[in-house]
Amino acid sequence: MLTTLSHFRLAGLAVSTGSDTRDFIKDGLAHGIGLAHLERVAKTIGLKERKVASPGVTALDLCEDATRRLLAAMDIDVSTIDVIIFVTQTPDHSQPNNACLLHGRLGLAKSSIAFDLSLGCSGWVYGLHQAGLLCAHGGAGRVLLCSGDTLSRLTHPQDSSMDPLFGDAGSAAIVERTGTPTPWYFVLGSDGKLSATIKVPAGGARLPASTETRVESKDSNGNVHHAENLMMDGAEVFNFSLREVPAAINTVIKNAAWQLADVDALVLHQANKFIIENIATKCGLKAAHVPSNLVEKYGNQSSASIPAALIEGLGEKLANRSQKIVGCGFGVGLSWAAFASEIGPVITCPIQPYPLK
Amino acid sequence: MSSTFESHLHALQKEVDVLVGVSPDAPLSGLPQWDSLAILLVISHFEHAYKITVTGQEIRQCKTIRELIQLIPQS
Repeated sequence: MLTTLSHFRLAGLAVSTGSDTRDFIKDGLAHGIGLAHLERVAKTIGLKERKVASPGVTALDLCEDATRRLLAAMDIDVSTIDVIIFVTQTPDHSQPNNACLLHGRLGLAKSSIAFDLSLGCSGWVYGLHQAGLLCAHGGAGRVLLCSGDTLSRLTHPQDSSMDPLFGDAGSAAIVERTGTPTPWYFVLGSDGKLSATIKVPAGGARLPASTETRVESKDSNGNVHHAENLMMDGAEVFNFSLREVPAAINTVIKNAAWQLADVDALVLHQANKFIIENIATKCGLKAAHVPSNLVEKYGNQSSASIPAALIEGLGEKLANRSQKIVGCGFGVGLSWAAFASEIGPVITCPIQPYPLK
Repeated sequence: MSSTFESHLHALQKEVDVLVGVSPDAPLSGLPQWDSLAILLVISHFEHAYKITVTGQEIRQCKTIRELIQLIPQS
């Protein structure tokens, strides 16, 4: 879907990560993987450390912490929030949704609405699109957009192809209605035929969690997993990323009537350095500022990774002036969403672990 | 061996580290580092060098470097 919206702005951003640090090389050695192999993977994919949630901490807690820090930094009273959108695939419960739980924790007015979007790595852009739509045409003045997951809990510790990739994080963004008609160009898409490419087979209504779904199996590379784990066909995800993401990015740039040289920054879902660099090369945007090193500090943060890349990858530039930014989220669904707009200044809070130690 | 084959071989070995020094007819299954990461490197190389998309399954079905190079359409 192609669409252009206006009369809203991204006003603030915060991200809270898990507080436990995992070291890729140390963990790999502890699981009996050779140092040469680990160093090769670390260099190519860009893995070093990741931040995972401490026991008992959920995506809801991480997003609540990010929200409280952001509201304090922006001096916003919770009574002025009309909408909470919570993007997650690791909610606290199957019912009620995380957005209503956060609505209660923050003490929002009963006239405000709260709903979840069940999306992963593409989800922040979907949430931004919905928030913008509600500001532009839906009667909302201020939207709190939260996104985040605890994907590190879905992988098996003895699966060296999956477990080292993921970190846990929650983001908060404030989106506001404005009188300025700055356009936002969006392209959003899905490919449900490829839904098995990234999947947690068990734990939902189709295949409820049971002792059978926790029976472990070992694949030909010695990686262990069971049906409640997150599974991914890496080669097909990579091909999907190279097929859909550059096309979506080039479309939003064309719709904005920008040249490639006009783009100040390309902010992609921080899957890993290898995918990001491949996409930037295929788009012809290697010369633009393309943050790609967040995954070596935090791991793949699912739907919180674009906010994290905006905060840490653009830093002061985002805080001080407007910039022409292109972004794209892509992943589970399969699903993708790209945007192009002049963004900023944006109030940002530094990325911080929760709870602080 | 044709010069085209040689140039494809040279380019492939430059991008996919685990194939350096491996004979074009040696079984890939005998290489300890012929893994999912190596397959990603092959996909990336074919995409950028030849603008072709190969699937992980197509690559896994290749038994040798020669068969990998046969995935490249002849111009």
